[in-house]
Amino acid sequence: MFGNTIIDSVVAVILTVLVCFVISTLLPGIERKYIHARIQQRIGPIVIAPGIMAPIKFMFKENVKVSSPVPGLYKALPIICFIVVLCVLVALTPEAYKIPALSSLVAVVGFLKVEEICYVLMGALSKSVMSVRMPFPDKIKGAAHNNSNLSFIEDISSRRSLRMITYGSFPLYLALFAPITAARSIFLQDIVAYQQMNGPFLFTVSGGIAAIVFFIGYMIILNEYPFSIIKAKSDVIEGPYMEYAAKYRSIVYLTRGFFMFVLGCVFSVLFIGVPPTIMSLGFLVNVLVALIFVFLMGIFSAFAPVFTNRQLLPTILGTTLLGILAIVLGLL
Amino acid sequence: MDKKVPRSNIIETEIPMGTVHPAALEPYRVRFFVEDEIVQEAEITIGVNHRGIERIMEGLPVEKANALTEKICGICSNSHIWNSCRTAEMGLGIEITERAKYIRVIMGELERLHSHFLYLAHGCEVLSHETFSMRVFYLREIVMELLAMIGGNRVQYGCSVLGGVRPRCDLDEAKLLRLKNDMDALEEGLTGFVERFLGDSIVMSRITGIGVLPQKQAIELAVTGPTLRATGVARDLRTTMFEYDDFDYNVITQPDGDVKSNLVMRALESFESIKIIRQAIANIPEGKVVNRDWEMVDMDMTESYIEVPRGTLYHSYALESGRVRHCIIRTPSMANIGAMQYACIGDQITDAQLCIVQCDPCFTCTDRAIEIIRR
Repeated sequence: MFGNTIIDSVVAVILTVLVCFVISTLLPGIERKYIHARIQQRIGPIVIAPGIMAPIKFMFKENVKVSSPVPGLYKALPIICFIVVLCVLVALTPEAYKIPALSSLVAVVGFLKVEEICYVLMGALSKSVMSVRMPFPDKIKGAAHNNSNLSFIEDISSRRSLRMITYGSFPLYLALFAPITAARSIFLQDIVAYQQMNGPFLFTVSGGIAAIVFFIGYMIILNEYPFSIIKAKSDVIEGPYMEYAAKYRSIVYLTRGFFMFVLGCVFSVLFIGVPPTIMSLGFLVNVLVALIFVFLMGIFSAFAPVFTNRQLLPTILGTTLLGILAIVLGLL
Repeated sequence: MDKKVPRSNIIETEIPMGTVHPAALEPYRVRFFVEDEIVQEAEITIGVNHRGIERIMEGLPVEKANALTEKICGICSNSHIWNSCRTAEMGLGIEITERAKYIRVIMGELERLHSHFLYLAHGCEVLSHETFSMRVFYLREIVMELLAMIGGNRVQYGCSVLGGVRPRCDLDEAKLLRLKNDMDALEEGLTGFVERFLGDSIVMSRITGIGVLPQKQAIELAVTGPTLRATGVARDLRTTMFEYDDFDYNVITQPDGDVKSNLVMRALESFESIKIIRQAIANIPEGKVVNRDWEMVDMDMTESYIEVPRGTLYHSYALESGRVRHCIIRTPSMANIGAMQYACIGDQITDAQLCIVQCDPCFTCTDRAIEIIRR
């Protein structure tokens, strides 16, 4: 009996993860085809191109030698990111509630932090040809400084990622902790149970404000325009992803779509009280929330230029204050 | 006091970019010297795509050399062939017909429109505002189609010839009507874009006070064209060109010399170009489009300056037995790019490429030149 329960739970989790993964591969295409392209009055790619066709194409491309001081670790980081996102999804499923250490908000926050730290490492370990030094032509053409310290553009990206960890993603974590003020528990099981009895946290004043903060944090952690300073095309180009090619680039693409879906599920669990499991019709709510987030993100990103520190800091400060307000209101 | 003096003694870190960077789209190399992401000094190096066009022109028959000048630039190709023909016309005393003069002005202003629209679109792209960028590209498409209608190509129209313009570039009633209608559509579209652009507070916060080039430095560094006018100097060579004597237009200036001034400057200047084209359509004289009544004689070194979309374009050469000698071409980007080393000091590195491209640089245009340093 106990063995059957475990097998059922494992099968349910695996099926949920698989279905979520398949749906998530469509999200980047939906964003680009139905939002960006529509707003920009162009045809856009076919829906499956960014999330399915591109990763498949890259999967079978010949890899290039990575320009990195620790190529093994650099190549492992996208895989680590994918596993981390997978762990977040597993932690959200009702079957994981039997393991309290996994299905708590602390675990979810921890996983998200690991994902953020990966960007710092990626940036620090990438040394692309885009910032290669040309001492001889520089000297010949009369350069004033020939012996300064060299910094690769990915180093800037790495430093920016570190800043984003310290204060950039702060609003997201405030929003994640806002539901605790209502449920008075850090365990997802309790948060879900509270909302099933008292209605979604989203429909409270505190929940409404926290949802706005969550959405901004969602865009920040996904490095989406206008918060894409760690991969701003105007200076650091692709930033931490610069040296990824072939199957590693493919994993980066897959992880992004998957992360979009999983963050939607985080919102469903914490603000609506609907955990992701294909054993329930509530799963449609998860899909719907993920789609709404993608649509909103697409609209916002299409109408904003990339933020530099001048715009980023006030935005994060304002959002943080909103997050604190949500928590204070929740405690009252 | 100049707040942008390069602080060479405290160089902390060098961040080289290029010779290829997606923000610039053309090959050049820049070394930023930064402290905590603030640019303290910059060094721009050009010359990675040297093509030696002036050397190839040496000894060519002048008609062939004129055609070759079009290949200098894909954006302002008409300006080059116009000025090259103008140089020979001035030296040989060739009078061009009135109708040809008007057609040259129409082509020149259409080219200014497409260059300015490309600039606006590129500026928005560097800001990472793809939506604005796309919308300007749609507007530019109207101009590109008009250029193709007149010249037969979207680039490299081969419009000017010695004595006037090519007969195939003559404008009949149907072409004039389409030009007139498209100018109306363009003005409407541009007005909408400018209102939306200036009303976007996020975009304004990205470009206001960024990459400031004060008027004094702009004059000292010999900046030309819209980049100079964006610092408040009302200097436009069109006011001295005989081709523009019949036209009424304003020389647009902006006060601040920053990225915003440069972008707004070009948007407002586009309205003036539409105004000039409308006047040309309304008053274009009848008659021949090319004067064949001239003789080839030897010509001393002759210089011609014209105002092109990016500033002052200089062509000079002499003719011996109908062949070009000692050709020198100076594009406006040559002076403007150098000034941008100054403009980006003190700004964040995310804005640095924006500061450089605010002068609308054309690196491949400029890369014909080679500087020989004798020690």
